[in-house]
Order: sequence, then structure tokens, then C-alpha cells
Amino acid sequence: MAGELASPAAPPRIARGSSRRVAALRLLRRRLIQAVPLMLGVVVINFVLIQLAPGSFLELMTAENQVSDPATIALLRTTYGLDDPVWLQLVKYIWALMRFDFGFSYRQNIPVIDAISVHLPATLLLMISSITLALAVGVAAGVVASMKVRTFWDTLVSVAAMFFFAAPSFWLGIMLIVLFSVKLGWLPVGGMATIGGTSAGAGGVLDILHHLILPTLALGLFYAAIYARVMRSSMLEVAQLDFVRTARAKGLSRNQVTISHVLRNALLPVITILGVQMGTVLAGSVVIESVFSWPGVGSLLFDSVSSRNYPVVLGIMVLGSLVVIAANIAVDLIYMWLDPRIEIR
Amino acid sequence: MQRFEFIGRFARNRGALIGAVLILVVALMALLAPLVFPVDPLRIVGQPELWPGEDPDFPLGTDSLGRDMLSMIMHGARATLLIGLFASAVATLIGVSVGAIAGYFGGWIDEIAMRAAELFQTIPNLIFVLTIVVILGSTLTNIVIAIGVVSWTPIARMTRAEFLSLRDREFVQACRAMGMGDLKIIAAEILPNALPPVIVLSSLVVAGAILFESAVSFLGLGDPNVASWGRLVGDGRQLIRSSWYICAIPGVAIMITVLCLNLIGDGLNDALNPKLRDR
Repeated sequence: MAGELASPAAPPRIARGSSRRVAALRLLRRRLIQAVPLMLGVVVINFVLIQLAPGSFLELMTAENQVSDPATIALLRTTYGLDDPVWLQLVKYIWALMRFDFGFSYRQNIPVIDAISVHLPATLLLMISSITLALAVGVAAGVVASMKVRTFWDTLVSVAAMFFFAAPSFWLGIMLIVLFSVKLGWLPVGGMATIGGTSAGAGGVLDILHHLILPTLALGLFYAAIYARVMRSSMLEVAQLDFVRTARAKGLSRNQVTISHVLRNALLPVITILGVQMGTVLAGSVVIESVFSWPGVGSLLFDSVSSRNYPVVLGIMVLGSLVVIAANIAVDLIYMWLDPRIEIR
Repeated sequence: MQRFEFIGRFARNRGALIGAVLILVVALMALLAPLVFPVDPLRIVGQPELWPGEDPDFPLGTDSLGRDMLSMIMHGARATLLIGLFASAVATLIGVSVGAIAGYFGGWIDEIAMRAAELFQTIPNLIFVLTIVVILGSTLTNIVIAIGVVSWTPIARMTRAEFLSLRDREFVQACRAMGMGDLKIIAAEILPNALPPVIVLSSLVVAGAILFESAVSFLGLGDPNVASWGRLVGDGRQLIRSSWYICAIPGVAIMITVLCLNLIGDGLNDALNPKLRDR
């Protein structure tokens, strides 16, 4: 992980607004172009997995989903082009995915893309709230630890970080349920909304937030632990750089320097790691959703895995990768905004 | 002498020492499990849902079916540690091969290797593991390979970085001047020098692999013949209202093991880079 950290060497310079916008657009364009081979790779891996499946993909799928109508099976054979040579199947598969045609889910009786998009918002909500929590808690804890090195607070942060870094998220989730739902009765055991409760207006939003607390903690604390450790060492590293001494020499107080000079530069490695880990966060939400019956893509994946509903499983893998790529581009733009020295890497 | 210093530095790190000792205890538990509990850990031996300490015969209590928790934890240690080690070995093998070739040859080979690493980092890792396992079947081998396949990228990047910094050193140039082949230079000359930081990373990959395996088993997709710790947590899930200890105990076992592996990794890292120690 340490190899991927950028080490900032100078304070950010302020570039002119328009040139920065141009640079941002150029970065965006370049990232989008780079995303194409990446997506193609994901699709090919998917395709290889289908080919590796023991027995005919179609047999397994039809058997598990109780499709026995010969007309449907014939339709499926043509849809998946199972009589074509392998390379043609791959081309057709890519062509279908490009039109967002992920196949049909016989279990839900709707196209795969619809099944997934119904569940996507819940997962995105969980991801965003967990990342927000992780950043807020992690960065704050890292800053506190770095400003009070070798004190009680520093030790407290590193001990807590070590524990949350080692605790399996699903287990942490269950333990949170035991404490806050079963014993104390403060928070709901699972789900996204109270059954039979108000779903509209402010009451509905509050209800969802109420259900969001425990899953967010279970998923987010692991990342908070990582960010706290990275932030601490990054703050200490940046604080030794020349420009910080210059700022102190200018007569700024220690807190002023920390907040306006050190913090901004020290955030960069955290942002880098956030980008690298986007896929892990999405994957982690699969397990957490299963623990809390959160109605997101993870629950759908778990259902589909148990019922061997391959089109949905593969569709989730492709769309999940797409979400990760998009999130990575967003992280790159944030990175650029924080550090104007970087135009295009 | 140098090696001695290294061990000394490692031993002076209290956390790492505690980690190493506790891992030895866990490994001992795994080794002694068949001797202390020769019967199948999944056999019903007592009353169900006995809390830890309630019956001296079952120090960690029994689960919902009346199986001995201590026996299951000790046998589970075997499964969990072995899966972690093998998966990490797979990841290290892939990572070192890819990283070494990419770093040594550079150019388009490097470009392709790094794009591949990026690709494997893009696919959400656990979703990838679940997909592989569900398509190829929930066997121990498939799970180990699947975890290895999603965990190799950091090792590849680290190996590549080491190779990049070593490939133009004098001793390598000397080998080239002597007419030594590329593969021999990679394997016999550069690799031994590049390995120490990679080994440190591998110990962290073991920890990651254990967390992965526990998640897969927790979701009920583990090998049905293997009672790893993750599966024990999953089995106890239904009973959190009455007997939450069934979930808690194997989870603590996972946490302690992963924590110790991380501590050892940190300790090795510090011992290898003494300059970074005070960070």
C-alpha cells in the first residue's frame, strides 16, 4: 500500500480557474478513454467464467430456474448464441452489453438490468454513508493522533484502529445488532424502512436514516481504521516538509499551519487509497446487506448466487465494475482539485 | 550478524512479539485439535445452547445443536489458517510472477501487466470471489484459488517496484555482461533481493485472505465439509437473541488471528525499514 502513496513536496499553488477547468476536462476525457479497455477486460473475464462453468451454462440456468418450455429454451439458445463459435459468442456478448442488455432474469421475470437498477440506489446510499463516516472519523482520528503523538490519544487511536482493521465486518454488524437492537432496543435489527411505517416525506427519510446507522458503522469503521493510520503517518510526514517550517516562520500558529497547510496535503494519500478501495467498499456492502437485510445489490447478488441465477450475478459484476470506474474518476477529479500540481498522471 | 540484528529489532517491537506468540498459540490449537478432540467436531455431544462456563465439560459452551464450541473453534483454526496460507501462497505466486516480469522487462509488457492489475482492482473483489465460487463450485480448492486471484495485485505492484529499482544495478549488469539469461537473472539474482518487502506484504495478504474466507463461509458459500470460523458465525446468526455467544466466539477468534498477522506484518516492516520506525 505504501508504494501507492504520493508524497507531496510543495504547498499547492493556485492556478487560474479557466485553465484548471480545461485540465479537469482533459483528465476526464483521458480517464473515460482509459475506462474502455478496462470495461472490455471485465466483460472478457465474465465471458471466460461462463465458458468455464461445468456443464452447459444454459442447462444449469434452465434447471435452476425451472424453465422447461422448449420454445423458451430454443429462444435462450439463440439469445445466448450457443450454437455459434466462441469468438462470435464473445462479440455478440460485448455488443449486447454495450446496449445495456444483460439478459433476462427468469426468477424475477424482468430484464437483468431492471432487477439490478431497482436495488442499486440502496447500495449506493450505504456506500456513500459508509465512506463519509470512514473519512470523517478516520481523518479526524488521524489528525488528533498526529497532533498528540505518543500521548494517550495517539495510543487510543492506534489501538482502536487495529481492532476495527481486524474485525470481520459481518461479525461487527452482528455484534452491533446484539448490543443496539437486541439488548438496548435503540435501533432496528435490519431492513431499510419500518414495515407499515410512513414512507413519504421527512418521516420516511428519518426512518431510512434510522435503519442506516448500524450498517454504516459495520461497513465504515473498517475503512475509518485504515484512513486513521494513513492520515496519521501522512500528517507527520508533511509536517516535516520545508514549506510547513516556512509557514511557521511566517508567524502562523501551529493550529493554523496544521489546518490550512498540512491537512490539505496530508489528505492526498487518503484520497488515493479511497480510489483504490472503491471496489472493496462495494463488495463489502454485499456482506453487510446480507447481515442487515438491506435491500441493495448485495441482497440481490446473494439471492442470485443461491439460486444460480447467472445472468444477474454476471450483470452485477459488470455494473459493479462500472460503478467502481465512475467512482475512481470522481476520486481523480477530487484529487486534482486538492492538488493543482497534478494535471494528468 | 545482520540477521541477528533483524530479529532483535523485531523482538523489540512489543506488538509484533505479542502477535507472533498468539499466532503460535492459534497454530498450536490447529495442530492439537485432532489430538484433543479426536471425534468429529460437528458431532452432537451435549445439551444445546449451553453458555460458556455453564458446564465444565464445555468451557466455551455448545451451539444450537449441542456441538462443543471449543472443539469446533480448534478444528476451525485448522481450516481457517490453512485456507489463509494457501490463498496467500496463490496470490504471492501470481503477484511475484507478474510483478517480476513487468518490472524486469518494462515497456509494453509492463503496460499490459499493470493494466491487468488495474482490471483486477476494478472488479469488486468479493463479488468476483462469489461469482467464481458459485460458477465453479464451492470446493476448498476453488475458494483458495478465487481468493488468490483477487489478492495478487498489491504483491505484483510491490514486486514490480523492487524490480524497477534493482534491474539496472551493477550486479545485474555484470550478470548480463556475463551472458546470463533473463529468466536466470530474474529468479536467481534479483528475486532474492526483492523478496523481503514482498514477504511482509504476503503476511498481510494472509490476514486479508482469512477475512475473505470467513465472509464467503459466513454467507453459506464455503465448502460444506469444512467448519471454518466464518461458517460458525453464520451458523449462529439465527440465535442472536438467546445465545449471541455462538456468533461472538468464532468472530473473536477471527479478529485475534487477523490482528496478530497485522501486528507481525507491521513488526517485520519496521524491522526491515528501521528508519521508518518512529513514524
